Amino acid sequence: MGVSNNIKYAYIVARVRAMKSKLIPREMYPKFMNMDIPEITRYIEESGYKKDVDELGKKYRGTDLIEHALNQNLALTYRKLIEVSQDEANYLITEYLRSWDIWNIKTILRGKFSGASEDEILEDIVSGGQLRYRDISEIVKIGTIEGVIASFAKTPYYKALEGYSGDLARIENALDLLYYSNLINAVTSTGNKLFLKFLKTEIDLKNLKMLFRMKRAGMERDEIIKLLIPGGMELKENDFVRLASLSMSDFVRALEEYSYWNAISDISGELSSLRDIEMRLDKYGLTYASRISYYYPLSILPILDYILSKKIEVDNVRIIVRGKETSLPDDIIKAHLVM
Amino acid sequence: MVVDAGFIAIGAGIAVGLAGIGAGMGEQAIGAAAVGAMAEDEKFFGKGLLMTVIPESIAIFGLVVALILLFVFGAE
Repeated sequence: MGVSNNIKYAYIVARVRAMKSKLIPREMYPKFMNMDIPEITRYIEESGYKKDVDELGKKYRGTDLIEHALNQNLALTYRKLIEVSQDEANYLITEYLRSWDIWNIKTILRGKFSGASEDEILEDIVSGGQLRYRDISEIVKIGTIEGVIASFAKTPYYKALEGYSGDLARIENALDLLYYSNLINAVTSTGNKLFLKFLKTEIDLKNLKMLFRMKRAGMERDEIIKLLIPGGMELKENDFVRLASLSMSDFVRALEEYSYWNAISDISGELSSLRDIEMRLDKYGLTYASRISYYYPLSILPILDYILSKKIEVDNVRIIVRGKETSLPDDIIKAHLVM
Repeated sequence: MVVDAGFIAIGAGIAVGLAGIGAGMGEQAIGAAAVGAMAEDEKFFGKGLLMTVIPESIAIFGLVVALILLFVFGAE
């Protein structure tokens, strides 16, 4: 990376580091366990979500207020990153955050598929990508899945959506594949090797989670291979074929060959809950992003690290609040947190 | 001699000029980072300002060299 590129990243990285210092500290999550929901609302109001809580306070109450405030804050934070960055950083952040467009499209389609109300769908919308909240709320009003798909005709996502014939899983998979192949092309075009390395690791972790889920569901080898995302760092296409054809216990043993094994090696033989493994893989991704962002301080990596950390903060608060609302025991809530 | 005095003046000019360019290059990234941090938190103003002027010492070294050239060697 040249000197001029370093200078371009200096501004945004310093800004992002200052933003990261304002995230909820890790040691706060256990303290949340002893608080009730109004106390948690008050705390998050004082820690950077004030504007969102105040704005939405008239419309929502309790956990719904927190949920909406978290989503709005996440979307605005991501939009801010796009607005304050420039040149290569701006392009890469914009492309990376398109994952939220994919998330929103999937949420709308799933909502329509299951007959959810407009409000229920909007509750899960995070307009952190290129699709604006106003446009999304207009699309949500459309009654049929076909109508929703037609409304995306002018977006780059239409390629994955066209030809819908009642199989939502196929469309969701096509969206993921489209997102990652476009992102790999975008990153390759800039020649940013650090981002590419980060992205390939992210793809591996996503594939591993999918492999665990699909093995657990007892899916056929060919079906599994079709759903995996090509372009990972360690899990190449020949690994897909090999891992997909193994039984669950052999599959877990085969993972010892990969560096990700360290993250999940302490799981017990009996896989009672996949959440445990997914949580460990998420934690691995977070630690990895944080570690490499210190190795390359003036690069895109500290920004990606912040994007991940912010998402995990929002997820953790949501898990605690929803867990408390449904009176889940503390140890179950804690097991779901990524810290 | 007039020619020697001319060379000394050119030398002093180069010393100040190059040191200034060097300091500027150093301050470029630090200044950008300081403004970025300040945009998020005004408390970084003092620290940011301090960090930004640290490469300025390079310019002062250049100035000192120029003054030595002019007043020590130029006076002979």
